[in-house]
Amino acid sequence: MLFNSLEFFIFLPIVYVAYWFLNKRSLKLQNLLLLVASYVFYGWWDYRFLSLILFSTVVDYAVGLGMAKSTDRHRKRVYLWISLICNLGLLGFFKYYNFFVDSFVEAFSFFGHHIDNVWTLNIILPVGISFYTFQTLSYSLDIYKGQLKPTKDFVAFAAFVSFFPQLVAGPIERASNLLPQITGKRNFDYRQATDGLKLMLWGLFKKVAIADSLAPIVDDIFTNAADYPSSTLALGAIFFGFQIYGDFSGYSDIAIGTSKLFGIELMSNFKFPYFSRNIAEFWRRWHISLSTWFRDYLYIPLGGSKYGMQKTIRNVFIIFVVSGFWHGANWTFIAWGALHALLFIPLLVMGKNRLYVNKSLGSKALIPRLGEVGKIVLTFILVSITWIFFRAQTISDALSYILRLFGDFSFASYQHPMGYRMIDFYVLLIVFVIYEYLIHENERLPVPFKNRMVRLFVYIMLFFGLLLFYDSGMDRSFIYFQF
Amino acid sequence: MVKLVSKILLYFIISLVVLEILVRAFHLYNDRPERFVDNDSLNKWVPGQEGYSVYGNRRQVFAKYHINSSGYNSYREFEPSEDGVEVALIGDSFIEGFHQDYDNSIGKKVENNLNGKVEVFEYGHSANDLADQLHTIQSYSQEFKAIDYIVISIRYEDDLTRGAYKPINRIPGYGFLKYSKLLVYVQDIGLIDPAKRMVAKILAFKNNRTKKSETTEAQIDLSTTFINNFKSLIDSYGLDKDRTAFLLDGSITDQRFLDYLKDENIDVIDYAQVFYNDNVPKTLIFDQHWNNKGRTLIADLIADYVSMKEENK
Repeated sequence: MLFNSLEFFIFLPIVYVAYWFLNKRSLKLQNLLLLVASYVFYGWWDYRFLSLILFSTVVDYAVGLGMAKSTDRHRKRVYLWISLICNLGLLGFFKYYNFFVDSFVEAFSFFGHHIDNVWTLNIILPVGISFYTFQTLSYSLDIYKGQLKPTKDFVAFAAFVSFFPQLVAGPIERASNLLPQITGKRNFDYRQATDGLKLMLWGLFKKVAIADSLAPIVDDIFTNAADYPSSTLALGAIFFGFQIYGDFSGYSDIAIGTSKLFGIELMSNFKFPYFSRNIAEFWRRWHISLSTWFRDYLYIPLGGSKYGMQKTIRNVFIIFVVSGFWHGANWTFIAWGALHALLFIPLLVMGKNRLYVNKSLGSKALIPRLGEVGKIVLTFILVSITWIFFRAQTISDALSYILRLFGDFSFASYQHPMGYRMIDFYVLLIVFVIYEYLIHENERLPVPFKNRMVRLFVYIMLFFGLLLFYDSGMDRSFIYFQF
Repeated sequence: MVKLVSKILLYFIISLVVLEILVRAFHLYNDRPERFVDNDSLNKWVPGQEGYSVYGNRRQVFAKYHINSSGYNSYREFEPSEDGVEVALIGDSFIEGFHQDYDNSIGKKVENNLNGKVEVFEYGHSANDLADQLHTIQSYSQEFKAIDYIVISIRYEDDLTRGAYKPINRIPGYGFLKYSKLLVYVQDIGLIDPAKRMVAKILAFKNNRTKKSETTEAQIDLSTTFINNFKSLIDSYGLDKDRTAFLLDGSITDQRFLDYLKDENIDVIDYAQVFYNDNVPKTLIFDQHWNNKGRTLIADLIADYVSMKEENK
């Protein structure tokens, strides 16, 4: 079920009313409702894959209890390996099996040994598998590290694994944050609910008006890159940056907003990443739940920054490449991750990777300083170039795109593939960026204005924007579902 | 909870009211002229109406219409005479032309092409098929007697589905649409489509459950049916082959039908070749109706046909 579908608009109020109706009666029933609702939500795509979620749930539930009972470290480690093998095994088979087989065959061909590829399988990638496997893994890892006590409540645990607002595209929650909220009693909070609705509206706007309206342009430019001048290719890379931001952060906002309606707080996933002043800041603002996951469960176990610069650089490189590979079984994602590592490492070496940790953008002025704007623009350009690898089908496509982009600069005005006025989209993006700047202090409060009339004006403008840019012919799911 | 629900409702209502105002202020809605059924059971537009046809979320098409005293969207009053050269252009929404300014229609383009030597009367009405069109000619037999050439636009798969005329009342139940421009707008941009699809799905599911054993009895040869329908209509209404031509797209028309027209010496203006030889889009963004380029090509073909007939007189 998609957040931007009619089914969800019917599903949500029904679950919402039943959920709060049960709140005064039984926590167990309320959690059971959450679980059933989550399974219905997921099963709407393909009910067969519910078995995978259930498998992952049962494994980590049992592993958690097993680890808690174990007194010696060796036994705990065995349990942890069971969780790792099961979860990463699922992910590896459904997401990476064909990639490894193809790469293996291609590698042999490269060295002159032809192998008939008879091992690739026709595998469907289950929606959200990368997200819920990482979520359950974090549960087992936290218990192993002694940072979390396992729950005996299977229904609550299953609801934690499959919590529908964030099941298919995150934020990837930590058990230490989400599980106690599910095992504990929730109370209806008017402020929390209205904040949730505002986030949902803002997320829907980002998805429908920004991401979906730019999608046909991006698709056209990347598909016909060889026919377009460099000015159009630059437009394609920039628009893709906005498309993927609108799509993914829009999803996260709807997920966080929906959770708020149920009295549950999810972690923030995006903090206005395109206002970053360098790549390090970008990664503290983009897909935060994934980058912190890799930080906590890969970077730190690898030694983090404890063992000198060389090892730190190695560790940084590893997490960026793995993070890229997490996005998809394609060399383009690995290249994307590696490129980000190459942009990040100089900052690390110069000790500037934490430069903007506590420095808010334009905090003492209405508009950011010129120098800050320059840094933001430069970071955005670098990020946009890396997006080319993310969006391209193959490494060779990405390289051709970049060579054409920088090889021979030429300008020609771009015509929308469906004949729409392009000026509409330029105006939309300018207004969007200005508004994002106005609200950039708090990503969880998209309409932070104190004046009621101003808030009402913003709501109406968002609705109006949705109408103006809604495309009935488009049936687009969220980009991150494929990961 | 009550406070939340009441506040959502309040904000929702205020938003609807303001959106209604915005949609009206920016004229994002389609004006939708009024229809009526005349004494000959023909669906027509109420004469004298003027307004704008609007298509696209952001008013990508904004075309003026003008309903003449005969009830058709046309810049010209239909007053055929014995002296001049007059052409009747009959068809559905493609000829009706709500997608263009009424003074930039196919008929006007034909007239311009022939330097004003002809007058073109556009009898186009949305959803009319061949039965409607032949019935129109019969109903206006006095006027049509004075008209020199009749060009009937047909779309093979849509317009030959019936072999006899039976009046169809096409006056839609606008209901609330009359009062809410916002509703007109959201319907036109397809926002209500998912709800419609869901209802259709539910109904289909319900029907499948009640009619489980119902299967398609026989494969119907559509082309034979269409040709038989055509013959049946011509038998009923007659066809003046000397001054009538069918405007059609040969690439989506069954060859057997084209062969039949050829065997019967019925003139055909086939725009398939000119349309597909040219890479420039010939249709609008939002649907398959002809854009300005498409209409120009069609008008050129009609003008050529009229010129050729005049020369051979």
